Amino acid sequence: MIVKEVFSDILLGLAVLIVLTSAIGVLVMRDAYQKLHFVSPAGLVAPALVALAVMVQHGVYENTGETFLALFFMIIAGPLISHATIRAMRVREKGHWRPQRGGKAPAGEKEQ
Amino acid sequence: MVMAFVAAAIAMLVAMIPPAIVLCRGELAGSVVAYEFIASVLVMVLALLAEGFKRPAEFEFPVLMAVLLYGSSLVFIRVLERWL
Repeated sequence: MIVKEVFSDILLGLAVLIVLTSAIGVLVMRDAYQKLHFVSPAGLVAPALVALAVMVQHGVYENTGETFLALFFMIIAGPLISHATIRAMRVREKGHWRPQRGGKAPAGEKEQ
Repeated sequence: MVMAFVAAAIAMLVAMIPPAIVLCRGELAGSVVAYEFIASVLVMVLALLAEGFKRPAEFEFPVLMAVLLYGSSLVFIRVLERWL
């Protein structure tokens, strides 16, 4: 029982540490591209640690399942949202998201 | 045991302050990134509070928040891309 609690506390501590350092990263980085790098640890790694902490505490049961379901949605949404954010920022800056003339077009795409 | 989950939730709520500053005072793109960060942390805070206060029914909030995070972030991003 004590081992479970200690292990759960360690996982929670790691999750909090990751979120705190990422929060500072979001604050101090210069532009949105750099800030976006700090969203992924807080949006993917820390929720996984929290879900593991809940599972260590109670084993496999309904609440653990719901926590992992939330984690599942976040794992799917995180990379998609990061990609969409970077694309939106590039569209705002350049007017389009495609590579510039003379630049290399992505594989399978015709250069303009 | 209960205290650890509640303490972690409080620490994560404190961690929302730096991105909240960026959200209020930063440039537009940085504010959207800060919003995404806060929404991600909020999912964890809801799960931690439900576990900390032993409210099994409230484990549905983090699941709903995770789904809404996806939709709401995409809406903000599309608005940022097209109109702002």
